[in-house]
Amino acid sequence: MKKVAVAMSGGVDSAVAALLLRDDGHEVVGVTMCLGVTPAEGGRAKCCGPKEIEDAARVCRALGIRHYVIDFAADLEEKVIRPFVEEYCRGRTPNPCVACNRFIKFGSLLAKARAWGFDGISTGHYAGIEEDRGAYRLKTPKDRRKDQTYFLSAIPREALAKVLFPLAELTKDEVRGIAERAALPVFDKPESQDICFIPTEGHEAFLRGRGAPVEPGEIVDTAGKVLGRHRGIACYTIGQRGGLGISSPVPLYVLAIDAARNRLIVGEKRDLRSGSLVADQVNRLVDVFPEEAWAKIRYAHKAARCRVSYDGERLAVRFAEPQEAVSPGQSVVLYDEGTVLGGGIIKEVFRGTS
Amino acid sequence: MKQIYLDYAATTPTDQRVIEAMQPYFGEVFGNPSSLHSFGQEARSAVEAARMRIASFLGATPAEVVFTSGGTESDNFAIKGVAYANRKKGDHIITSAIEHPGVLETCRFLEREGFRVTYLPVDGEGLVDPDAVAGAITGKTILISIMHANNEIGTIQPISEIGRLARERDITFHTDAVQTFGHLPFTAAELNVDLLSTSAHKLYGPKGMGILFIRQGTRIVPFMNGGSQEGGRRASTLNVPGIVGFGKAVELAGQELAEEPKRMTALRDRLIGGLFSKLSGIRLNGHATRRLPNNINFSASQVEGEGMILSLDMLGIACSTGSACSSASVETSHVLTAIGLSREFAHGSLRVSLGRFTKESDIDAILEMLPQVVGRLRALSPDAAGRKDS
Repeated sequence: MKKVAVAMSGGVDSAVAALLLRDDGHEVVGVTMCLGVTPAEGGRAKCCGPKEIEDAARVCRALGIRHYVIDFAADLEEKVIRPFVEEYCRGRTPNPCVACNRFIKFGSLLAKARAWGFDGISTGHYAGIEEDRGAYRLKTPKDRRKDQTYFLSAIPREALAKVLFPLAELTKDEVRGIAERAALPVFDKPESQDICFIPTEGHEAFLRGRGAPVEPGEIVDTAGKVLGRHRGIACYTIGQRGGLGISSPVPLYVLAIDAARNRLIVGEKRDLRSGSLVADQVNRLVDVFPEEAWAKIRYAHKAARCRVSYDGERLAVRFAEPQEAVSPGQSVVLYDEGTVLGGGIIKEVFRGTS
Repeated sequence: MKQIYLDYAATTPTDQRVIEAMQPYFGEVFGNPSSLHSFGQEARSAVEAARMRIASFLGATPAEVVFTSGGTESDNFAIKGVAYANRKKGDHIITSAIEHPGVLETCRFLEREGFRVTYLPVDGEGLVDPDAVAGAITGKTILISIMHANNEIGTIQPISEIGRLARERDITFHTDAVQTFGHLPFTAAELNVDLLSTSAHKLYGPKGMGILFIRQGTRIVPFMNGGSQEGGRRASTLNVPGIVGFGKAVELAGQELAEEPKRMTALRDRLIGGLFSKLSGIRLNGHATRRLPNNINFSASQVEGEGMILSLDMLGIACSTGSACSSASVETSHVLTAIGLSREFAHGSLRVSLGRFTKESDIDAILEMLPQVVGRLRALSPDAAGRKDS
């Protein structure tokens, strides 16, 4: 790959990705996606705002590479933000980073970069790609604690041939070391953990600002007995403990969100476990899913042993051991050794394994 | 890769002859032109020679030429200076919706200071209607500021006509002539202006150098307070190399003014003709004939301007677009909005601006590459995908 557009967020990871590719002899150009999150739209953006764009520009100047800021606001709005709000309205917990990678970074940005004359794109994700006789596989990175393959599970399979992940074999500490030795201006910049388009004013304010009904309603137990009131279902996630304003002899957890009745169902920790799930919007990064694999049901989840069946539309995952807080809207991602097999969006969750 | 620069409206390369003329004034001739000794006098004579050259080019007297740091300073100087000088007389300013930010933002500043500003609309080709100017004048109007030619779409305004009606009513008239000075033949008297802003770097001169022409007798408050330079109107030690460079740039422009606009016009029309024969779904922005000889601005459907800029830059061609993701948000050109472009066309604009070093082969190169670029970008659009599916 000769000409590479590096998606630069203004952070240290993408800065080092660009540095490594440049030093490897690629013709590298930095591209920052302008997501159009302005103060007028309800607050200060934590990422991809003016400060981040300027940081990316500074890094590119330090690297001596060109830098472009490209408008992705309309794309992001249509393919990520609006679905994000709609999912919350349905009582689900979406993962916008999964959608952004699928539709924006490894969708429109890749397609645009190809049209602009680049051979492919690169990002500062901690992930790897392995090629074997023309077949590309998404791999987990060396730094297992930073593994970001969960967020990459939905990217189109054909994108793998046109993407470079230069941080595959590096730990975060090594990346910071490289940035510091190269005197990159962002070497000590703190990590951004949050969703980039949610302003600092917070999740709840953002959803309200977007017209999502954040209406108070009832908190009930599994038998339907009313235990208290909630602030609006969009403010809660499954598995959440506390913040419910209910006094109870045993700790209570959010077990489910009933959007139709605007209710939160709460219960004990043991009720939080699920034996199986069904996912849709399935993406395969391999020819066929094996019958047995390891599944992650959220980013910070430790992959769990499972059995897999896929009928071409719905993906059924049965865990060897029940898993806690499996949430509709999140992705289930399947792994086999270090290979990411693909995944889907969790649609339904079952207590048992059937 | 061969690089082709087609963004002369943004800035021009400094002419080698200008650089040579400036050279001695960074070293040997370093005196402060305000000093009385021989070092100062030598610098002073270079400054005054340049002033004389520029004044005579404009048909002005040397005392009517005040050196500034550029077009934006000149705009600020003119507008604030006239507004504050005439505060007792009135508080109303007339300008247009398509002015350069140097004028627009200064007017907005004055609105916050209590002045009232009328922003006249333009027609679909970017022209200000002189009757609309006349109609906007009130008993309190103290200043009219209309640009000579628009920097984005190249439309040339009926400045002398607007100037005449301003003068009949004894209202001060300013024009921002950054895009036309040295590129089109005119004198300040022909334009009927009291104030005219321009800068050197659009004319193969150095950056950070401009003038404000102030017709004798115009009431204006000094822009900078300090020493008595420039007749007390603009304090600050004179930028001697910049002034000398500006003088040289004007001398060169004067030599070329008989032929260069014709050459530019021919290249411009070659490019416009070629674009329309090779590309469908495009429109020319601005006026077909009342247009800067070096300006081409068009919009293409189903294409984003930034995609064209980036693709062309990858191929070594430098142009500009009206809608760019600046820092926080996508800013759509106020000029393209004012001429009534749809959102699609406003986002799909490309400005190509030619200059002294543009050759016919450069035009042919962009004519060859642009259809490919537009074709590739159009293949990405949802409309194109829809067509493929059906």
